[in-house]
Parts: sequence; structure tokens; C-alpha cells
Amino acid sequence: MNQNALKIAVYGKGGIGKSTICSALSLALAERGLKVMQIGCDPKADSTMSLRAGRRLPTVLATMRERKDDFSLEDVCLEGAGGVICVEAGGPLPGLGCAGRGIITALEKLKAKGVYGRYSPDAVIYDVLGDVVCGGFSMPMRSGFADRVYIVTSGENMSIYAAANIASAVRNFGERGYAALGGFILNRRDVENEREKVLALCGDFDSEITGELPLSEKIREAEARGKSFMELFPKSEEAECVRALSRAIFT
Amino acid sequence: MRQVTGLTSTYSSDEFGICSALFELGGLVVMHDASGCNSTYTTHDEPRWYDMDSMVYISAVSEIEAIMGDDDKLIRDVVSAARELKPRFTALIGAPIPYMIGTDLPAVAGIVEEETGIPSIGFPANGMGLYTKGISMALAAVTERFAQGETGRSREPSMNVIGLTPLDFSLNGTAESIWRWAEALGFRRGACMAMGSSLDEISRAGEAHVNLVVSYGGLEAARILERRYGTPWIAGVPFGKAFAERLGQLVLEAAGTGGREMAAYRSVPRAGAAGRDPAPNPARDAARGKESPLLVVGESVYSASFAAAVELELNIPTRVLCPVDTEDVLLREGDRRTPEEDDLIEAFRGAERVAADPLFRQLVPETAEFFDLPHEAFSGRIYDRVNRNMVDVPLDGFIFGGTKAPRGKGPRG
Ligand SMILES: Nc1ncnc2c1ncn2[C@@H]1O[C@H](COP(=O)(O)OP(=O)(O)OP(=O)(O)O)[C@@H](O)[C@H]1O
Ligand SMILES: [Mg+2]
Repeated sequence: MNQNALKIAVYGKGGIGKSTICSALSLALAERGLKVMQIGCDPKADSTMSLRAGRRLPTVLATMRERKDDFSLEDVCLEGAGGVICVEAGGPLPGLGCAGRGIITALEKLKAKGVYGRYSPDAVIYDVLGDVVCGGFSMPMRSGFADRVYIVTSGENMSIYAAANIASAVRNFGERGYAALGGFILNRRDVENEREKVLALCGDFDSEITGELPLSEKIREAEARGKSFMELFPKSEEAECVRALSRAIFT
Repeated sequence: MRQVTGLTSTYSSDEFGICSALFELGGLVVMHDASGCNSTYTTHDEPRWYDMDSMVYISAVSEIEAIMGDDDKLIRDVVSAARELKPRFTALIGAPIPYMIGTDLPAVAGIVEEETGIPSIGFPANGMGLYTKGISMALAAVTERFAQGETGRSREPSMNVIGLTPLDFSLNGTAESIWRWAEALGFRRGACMAMGSSLDEISRAGEAHVNLVVSYGGLEAARILERRYGTPWIAGVPFGKAFAERLGQLVLEAAGTGGREMAAYRSVPRAGAAGRDPAPNPARDAARGKESPLLVVGESVYSASFAAAVELELNIPTRVLCPVDTEDVLLREGDRRTPEEDDLIEAFRGAERVAADPLFRQLVPETAEFFDLPHEAFSGRIYDRVNRNMVDVPLDGFIFGGTKAPRGKGPRG
């Protein structure tokens, strides 16, 4: 593993734009010549979809169920746009099993199979499901995984509330040597006083807005076309925002 | 059916493997599990329980603590117990409940250590792994943590024995016999991991000239010592005259030249191979005519050593079937892993001679000769009466004293 690799986990309320931002960030880092690995930690397994033109990948957990330990990293780590290595942890069917435990098992399995040594990524991005509802969802911030946590939020109250919850969890885990809070990513919904509200949140956690993305028709359109806006609109203001974010996170 | 044990027993779990390996080391050992699980360990898997003090506890996690992920309660309890008992270390062992809710025991152990200043280790066991994995984890962690620091080799040649627990070797004198064998070779006793040695002795494990790995559970610890101190390891248990001699030679060579790491039995040619024709012996020659190999079931180093001893001394072909964790380096070519009961049922089909824990008799054809090799990690104390120290049992007597083993009968005297 690249010792100076950037390892981040992205959290935030359900549907706030984590996967959209993670994929765009992966591409922005890849543009800079970095080897990027994006690991979706969500049973929906849709984190890397826009990097793979909508094609699904075999998830780690589904592969484990079928083949136990009898598979190789190449079976679950597939290349996507920009040469980004795409991985999906996967999980149980909705309403069954234990999704949180699934994340732990999938990440441990990847580690045991030596994924970080094998691909030696310069950046690893964990895209984690909604809120930290149980032990499993703190896995990506545990020691040996991400070093920093970024939380995506808009100015909507529910989103800020969820972000504050996650930030508290990160703070509480401080004594365990888990990841530190890197900052908040503002994904605008254009509500009133949006920036001020998020800045107030930052104040509560002695943190900052690391980057920011406008509410955008182009982003919607790109999603409809099954690709990242970074690919479809590389010259757009939105793409520039993500490049700025990538520089703020990884100088 | 896969992953189903319908006719025999199951092996002891990773949790108990850890407890067993740590039992004598003076640590505060806490299984993070529901109350009651401790008695499973003490009743079935720990023959030292009644004669020897050890700080093995259960956290008695409750339903609501599990649901709420209340790690603080565990931390408070362990910290206060540690302050009172002043153990050499604390060990927090995972179990099914913490596994399912994703409790980060290494992180919790870090907090306990921070608060008490006592070295603390968290073990990600889950009660679903096998005891072999538990022993391996425990001995590796103890070695990693305590057997460090600068040290030279002892002046007189010395040997550590690694991977020795009652789960594989019972309390039938095998441990003592292994040491006597080592001393007869001219080795001073080093540390034993982990029966009969203190944590201080183990922390000086780097002084030994060679490590004898007597079970899979000792392999990882031996590798750590190899990396750290360049100590060579040899795997094997000195069963039978001829194999014990061969093992002795390899151990002496390794200790002398810092030679190669290997399982001693891997260099033993299969019985019947050309170039080996022991002196005539009617009993043996009668047996030699039979083609069907003796199937030896059990832990890899124990079983493969035993099998090699039988081949060398009696020229009877063997095959090892290993139902527990191991690595290819600890098996001979032709030996097999049989993790499922179904694998064993299949392997036993048509077998004529089987040496295994008596509980496996259920799976063996009635016509086969059956030799009892009771295995504490499998059948607990049930067969204590016939559980013999095989290092001291002459192999001829053992093999040719075997009987046809009808099903459903209890242990024979
Ligand atoms: N800045 C934006 N402007 C317009 N649409 C956006 C923006 N950000 C995200 N979206 C859209 O919001 C929807 C949800 O985004 P996304 O799937 O990235 O969220 P998520 O946080 O990963 O969701 P989940 O919690 O379900 O994983 C998508 O349709 C996406 O295109
Ligand atoms: Mg998502």
C-alpha cells in the first residue's frame, strides 16, 4: 500500500448526493493522475454505477455467499471510467440479514485478500450508506481504513441533523483512534440561508466547508444518461467545483 | 449437506481456543458474551479448570446492552476488575453477539489499556471459527506483544515448544514427554506456549535456538519469532522411535545452522516407496500386504506426525484427514482437509483402518479397524480413560492392538 495514500470515508443523509460526489471526486483525482479506488459500502451497491455506465458489479458479499473464500480480487474489483477501481461491498436483501455486519465482513475480506497492496491506490474513497445506524457503518472509519471522514449535507434541516449525528459519532470515537472529521461538503438544495446554516454546523464541530456543489440540472441529466457529470460535462462549473474539492481534500 | 454436523460432534470454538492458550499466563481474560458461555468452556474444554487458578471471565452482556451497543459498560467492568485483580494483561474476546453488532474489541482494548496502563488485547473471535484459529490468534498476539526487545541466544542450546494446549494434547503427560525428548537431544527447556510457562518465560522466547511447532495454533507465533529473532522452526510431535529420531535430527540441524523452516514429516517418504525395507517382522509384514491406508483424523501437526511415525516404523501407508484449520505447509502431499462432516463420510467409505477420536466411529464402516485417538477439542473429557500419551505408547502395540469397532459402543478400556 502507498503509505501516503489518501483514505477517506464519505457519510451523509440518505439521498443527499454521496455517491454522485464520490464518483465525481474519484474522477477528479484520476484526472490528476492518481490511482483511485472507490468502495461502495451500501447494500444497494449503486455507488460506482455512474463510473461503469450503469453496469453492476458482482458485490463482495454476493461473491462470498456463492464462493466462500474461493475468489480473487479481480472478481470483485473492476475498472471503471478514468481507470478508477470500483468495488461494491453489497449486502443482504432489504428487510433481511444484517447490512451493518455485512459491511464489516466485506471490508475485512478485501483487506485479508490484500486489496490495498495489490492495487496500491493513491486514494481510497469509502461511500457509506446514509446514517451511522449501527456498529457496521462505523467500520470504514475504524483504524486501518479511512483516515478522514467527510460529511455531505445541504442546508435542509433533516440533512443538517443527520450530519450533526454523524459528526458526533466521529467525535465520540476519537479516543479509539478512528478517523478524524475532515470537513463538510455542501451539496446545495438552495434552501434559505443554506450556507449560514451549514457554517453554523461547522462551528459546532470546529470544522469547515471543504467543498461545495450547486443544485444542478446537468447533474440530473448526467444521472439520467448513466454517467458522471465529470465525464459528460468536464468543462462545466460543476466539474470545476469537484476539482476544487479534490484539491482541498488532497493537496 | 454442507456445514451440518449430523452424526458426530463439533470442534471447540475460536473463543475457547484463545482462553485455553492464555489460561496459564496471568491475564484477565474476558469473553464478551452472554452469561453461561463460560461454563461451556470450563466444562468441556478446560481440564485445568479445577486444579489451577485463572482469571477467565464472561462479560455477561445483556440483550439491551447488545442492542444499544453499550461498550462503556464492558469498558467500566473490565477496567474496575483489572484495577482490583492486577493482571499481567487483559484479553477481550469476541463472541457471536459482539460479532453481529460489530463491536470493535481491539479499539475497546485500546481504551482499557489507556485507562489502566495494563497491556490489553482485543480478539476478533466470533464463536463460529474453530479452536485452532483461536489458539493461533492468541499465541500470535502474546508473542507479538510480549516476546520483543533485544535478546541474544541462550548460551546452551534451548528450544521453545509452541502450540501446546490441552485442547490438542490433553493432560496425559504428552507435554512432559515432549520436553524429555528435547532434553535428551541436549536442549534446555525454553518457553512453552502455552502450558507450564509463565508470561516472563514467554517474553524471553527470542533466546531459544529453535522453535518446535506442535500444532497449527503455534505456526503464526513461530513465524513472528522467525521474523523478529531469526529463530528457525520445525513442526512435528515426536511420536514413534523412528520419527522422533528424524524430528530430532531436523531440530538439531535447524538449531545449529539456523536452517530451514519445515514440517518434519513432509520429508518422510510415503510407505512403500523404494529404498526402504525395514527388518522382517511378522505382524508388520502381515499388515503391509493390505493396500488400504490408515486414515488418521485430527489436527494437522499431531496427525501428520503420527502418520509419519506409523509409516516409518511399520511401513503402513497412511492418509491424514484434517477437519480443522491448517495450512498446506503443515500437511504432506496426499493428505486432505475435510472441513465438513460430509467430507469425512466420503473419505471413510471403504476404509479399513481409521485412527480418530472415538466419536468418529459413527462414520466409519463397521468392518474397519478403529484406533482410538481421543481429541479433547472434539470430545472433551468423555474419553479421558482411553486418552493416552501417544509419545510414550509403542506404535506396534497401538496399531496391532486395534479392534473392530462396532457402532454406538462407549469407550473401550
Ligand atoms: N447537486 C445536485 N444537483 C442535482 N441533483 C443532484 C445533486 N446531487 C445529487 N443529485 C441527485 O440526487 C440523487 C441522489 O444522489 P446520490 O445517489 O448520489 O445520493 P446518495 O447520498 O448516494 O444516496 P443513498 O443514501 O441512497 O446512497 C441522484 O438522483 C442525484 O443525481
Ligand atoms: Mg449512494
